[in-house]
Amino acid sequence: MRNLNGTDWSAMVLTGAERLSHNAELINALNVFPVPDGDTGTNMNLTMSAGVAELKNKPSEEIGRAAEVLSKGLLMGARGNSGVILSQLFRGFARAVAGQRELGVSGFAAALQQGVDTAYKAVVKPVEGTILTVAREAARHGLAISRKTEDLIEWMTEVHAKAAETLARTPDMLPVLKQVGVVDSGGQGLVFLYEGFVQYLTVAWPGNAGTSAYPAFASSAAPFAAQAPVAPATAAATAAAASAPPSRAAAQSKLATESIRFPYDMEFFIRRPSANAPFPEAAFRKALERDGDSIILIADDDIVKVHVHSRRPGDVLNAALTYGELTNFHILNMQDQHRDLLRPETESGKPAASIYAEEPEALGIEAASGIPPLTEAFAGEASAPPAEEAHPLAHEMAPFGVVAVSVGEGNAELFRSLGVDVIISGGQSMNPSTEDLMQAIQSLAAEHIFVLPNNPNILLAAKQAQELAERPVTVVPTRSIPQGMAAMLVFQEEQTAAFNEDRMGKAIERVLSGSVTQAVRDTVMDGVEIRGGQHIGILDKKIVAAADSVVEATRALLSQMMSSGEETVMVLGGADANETDTQDVLAWLAERYPDAEVESHAGGQPLYPYLILVEQ
Amino acid sequence: MSEIVLVTDSTADIPSEIRERLGIEMVPLQVLFGEESYLDNVTLSPAQFFEKLKGFGGMPKTSQPSPNDFLAVFQRLIAERKTVISVHLSSAFSGTYQSALIAQSMLEGEGDVTVIDSKSASYGYGMLVVKSAELAKQGASKAEIVAEIARLRREMRLYFLVDTLEYLQRGGRIGKAAALFGTLLNIKPILTIGGDGVIYPVDKVRGQKRAFARIIELIEADFGAGPIDLIAVDTPGDTQAADELIEVLKGKFGVRQFHRSEIGSVVGAHTGPGTVGIFVLPAGSV
Repeated sequence: MRNLNGTDWSAMVLTGAERLSHNAELINALNVFPVPDGDTGTNMNLTMSAGVAELKNKPSEEIGRAAEVLSKGLLMGARGNSGVILSQLFRGFARAVAGQRELGVSGFAAALQQGVDTAYKAVVKPVEGTILTVAREAARHGLAISRKTEDLIEWMTEVHAKAAETLARTPDMLPVLKQVGVVDSGGQGLVFLYEGFVQYLTVAWPGNAGTSAYPAFASSAAPFAAQAPVAPATAAATAAAASAPPSRAAAQSKLATESIRFPYDMEFFIRRPSANAPFPEAAFRKALERDGDSIILIADDDIVKVHVHSRRPGDVLNAALTYGELTNFHILNMQDQHRDLLRPETESGKPAASIYAEEPEALGIEAASGIPPLTEAFAGEASAPPAEEAHPLAHEMAPFGVVAVSVGEGNAELFRSLGVDVIISGGQSMNPSTEDLMQAIQSLAAEHIFVLPNNPNILLAAKQAQELAERPVTVVPTRSIPQGMAAMLVFQEEQTAAFNEDRMGKAIERVLSGSVTQAVRDTVMDGVEIRGGQHIGILDKKIVAAADSVVEATRALLSQMMSSGEETVMVLGGADANETDTQDVLAWLAERYPDAEVESHAGGQPLYPYLILVEQ
Repeated sequence: MSEIVLVTDSTADIPSEIRERLGIEMVPLQVLFGEESYLDNVTLSPAQFFEKLKGFGGMPKTSQPSPNDFLAVFQRLIAERKTVISVHLSSAFSGTYQSALIAQSMLEGEGDVTVIDSKSASYGYGMLVVKSAELAKQGASKAEIVAEIARLRREMRLYFLVDTLEYLQRGGRIGKAAALFGTLLNIKPILTIGGDGVIYPVDKVRGQKRAFARIIELIEADFGAGPIDLIAVDTPGDTQAADELIEVLKGKFGVRQFHRSEIGSVVGAHTGPGTVGIFVLPAGSV
């Protein structure tokens, strides 16, 4: 059996990326919160996609070079905590194999270990029972058995098995997992990655001359699905599919039908006549659903953003035309795109945020399985341009520039009115990458840049961007959109950076930030019993209320946020908030807390009917 | 030594009975609601102005007095052998000071006329005019009065709150507060007028209560626990916010002298309804 060269290793990584991509939705479903929080699968998938896109643009037969290229791509594409950790694992790996042409068992084992060391150092407070633990245990085991075998297939199979076994134990290490009844989502992502490695080595690797003791790919996803008893049925089904024996033909035919179902990826705006009735969002959505998916509608007063995958783009445009003028078309034939990307001379230098340039399946030249699509819902979200607008000054450098991550047109407008220069779309459902943040920072002609991540899952990427940036950057650790607004409210352009950092930091400590959303499954969290479908009120990180109606949950949350009754309250209505509910909540506030100063705005954020800021 | 007479313009917002009692000459600016024109504080009282503003869709325009308006007053006073000290609205907001200066130059050395840019607005400088008139009655010299005006202007701290920055923005008087304009949230910008006579933002807070608390902090930083002299101006018919603020300030600081006036048409046309201004001086100043 020969060693892995750069080409082998790259193909192995691509297969791993595919496994990850194929299971992104399952990983998302394992999120520990009973709310659509974090999107670990999406983040890991997008991170990995950015890495393999780079790998494909700069292929190398030398493993040292290939690993370095992957590492750089991952670093730039890193999204979310798990994505950042993944990028650190490969960064350490790349350092270990620097200068090497090929890799045997002992080299691989040492590189995995160095990856783990690097990741642990990068994370401020490593938490056990997460992807870190899974990576560490697998690497430790790999190092131990590297003395006993030189068979890469046997070795990788063992490493993967150890990772899977550790994953199964994560609920015992992290109470929140046990409470909700799932394994760690990031750890699950890593196991899928390793599963892809094994898959490549056993099925597609030219070095497998049939001499290995492990000729066939052993399925491994089933045990983890069993670990997730309360995961939604659809996720369980995905897991079952993933665990099916790897019949290449079956996988390909299945994926092929899926990927060509709605081949036209469309994005455009409807500009509405000003004095018109409210946009009939539900009706239009229903019309689109008849022959399309991945539908995203963002309706503002006079503009509606439409994203849909469709079979008949003409029908979609005709339907849209009845609501107003159409602008900013962006229509792609995803099959074409796909074929283009399969060709080696695919243009390079596409922005990392463009999902199509990065789809790992397009890069799976020698991959063992077929070409699974990115989960379409995520492809849809990710195709939104990350940075909407920048206002760089033409000549002189402004003292400060502000970059904020936000979601919802209304929230973006509010942030802009408070002096934010660049809004990056993102948040719970879509974490921007380090590179997205870097681009936004670099687009500003300002001496000092403030970054407001407005989400704990974006903090690490923001800090990574801070390190990479050539100009001074201050990351204000805002955990929510309301906190971000509280920080901007005290920002003073004429003061120093240190003054503002201090003031903004204190402002976010002083305010209370609440949100109302819908639970996706039954669970008990923070001592609150929650049924799937109920609305829950979250105060900072803690669930404090659960109720059948959004109004009840919002009232209960507000009761917990108010104390003196003289607070200043800001209510940001989400895309799903209806006017009657909002008026109901506001009337209740006015009656119950007559001395409070209350204002309400249409924020437009998805998933959260209400975001609330309370200032003492 | 000839008697000293104070001349000012209508933007000093000095109540007419005080003006008459102290013999302060006032040259009015004009306010125009479309084609209708009024003389500020002469043919249009503050209360009438804000009443008209409610029903008027657009922005009223204002115009400075002509040099001839000032020249006529100056010449009359010179003929009476008076010494003139003429104090006006910040030249950053209006050409009124410029008109008065031109009038002075048109005298070609005749008489004794001193023209001063107050670098301030409304009763904040109106009070300095009142104080100067009182000093003149007590026999202070021109040099003493001019020095006193400069000293008081330096020591005076002024803060004002507007309901909306729209009027300052549209009237082009927003100065350094421009960065705050366009804010969609219920933000109360706390504004001041700098030593250069231009508007500056001091801070921005959400809600009136927080604005009042911040103003108290700012006054404490400069005057400690007091005592202070306090001058307040507000919008006739919309005095609730000012009443509350005055009450809070009286409770917090030992207020020796308290003066209050209404914001007139010209200042009101540029700040909009709901504006509250306070001017603070060390106790014993006015």
